[in-house]
Amino acid sequence: MLRASGQATDRQFSLSGVLADAATTGVDAAAELIAFADAAIAADPAALDHARTRVVSVLGEAAMIDAAAVIAGFNGITRIADATGIPLEPQKAEQTADFRAELNLDRLRTGG
Amino acid sequence: MQVRSDLAIAQQRAWAAIGEPGTWWSGADRVAIVAETRHAATCALCAARRQAISYASVGGEHQVLGVLAPVAVEAVHRIRTDAGRLGESWYRRLLAQGLSEEQYIELLSVVAMVVAVDTFRHAAGLEPWPLPAAVAGEPTRVRPQGAGPGPGWTCALAPEDRTDADPDLYRDNPGPRERYGANIHRALSLVPRSMIHWWDMLECMYQSSAQMRDFGREYRAVTHPQIEMLAARVAALNQCHY
Repeated sequence: MLRASGQATDRQFSLSGVLADAATTGVDAAAELIAFADAAIAADPAALDHARTRVVSVLGEAAMIDAAAVIAGFNGITRIADATGIPLEPQKAEQTADFRAELNLDRLRTGG
Repeated sequence: MQVRSDLAIAQQRAWAAIGEPGTWWSGADRVAIVAETRHAATCALCAARRQAISYASVGGEHQVLGVLAPVAVEAVHRIRTDAGRLGESWYRRLLAQGLSEEQYIELLSVVAMVVAVDTFRHAAGLEPWPLPAAVAGEPTRVRPQGAGPGPGWTCALAPEDRTDADPDLYRDNPGPRERYGANIHRALSLVPRSMIHWWDMLECMYQSSAQMRDFGREYRAVTHPQIEMLAARVAALNQCHY
């Protein structure tokens, strides 16, 4: 959907930057938001306090709340996907094959 | 701190509903799942397994609250602490140990809701909520008549297999939500109430399918690209294949 957002708004976003270097994503306030997500998922209180303050400072409190909601919602839904073993739909797999290969994402199905 | 009203209401409704009798678990059972989900974060066995290359290489016993059966504890703890490495063989072992497929799906929905609500409140700098109040009553124990093999390990109610006796989970029930039947929508559909429960909350935390595809308008205080970047980041951090 990040790619689709870029196509719809005639902007280029880097998916690899989402995993590697926030500064290269092309998304506004990417560094602050990614630091917020990382600290929230890691449940690191000190880092989270700092990251939350940075997001509020740059984007405002309402954006911090909405960012927290997205992070939290995906922290839940990834468990639903992983715990039911659902595969990616063929069309989505085809559309995302290039960056999945670039990021080596298909290594992630390793459970037992 | 002001939480968007629709978001606050959706989360409050979802949290209260956890305490109600479900389809395959009682209200007290569901509250016990909430407590065990929180407790799993401090389980030494789960922490050691999470650090190991193979979770099976680390033996021992979970640190438990002692309310749920061991098979349910194993499901809750692994989903809470190591979901990115779950596999079908692990799931089949749970079934062999007596957990039903329907119980597993409902348990999963509760764990996911607890993770989502607790993560939100922690991220936003808010205090965690107390456990939901357990409501007396019996589970309804109704399996969708049209349920069959799903896209993953578990059975599901696909839109095309729905019978007249089954709720319309994808378009009409209980309103025009346009859940279009992607595999992620189908994942919880074996227990329709759990699916509705989860998605009604998630769509207020993230966006509905229609909002997600409406790039001409922003529905949140963060933009579509910011939302999708965050979603991708969290999926990667959690090693989510989907």
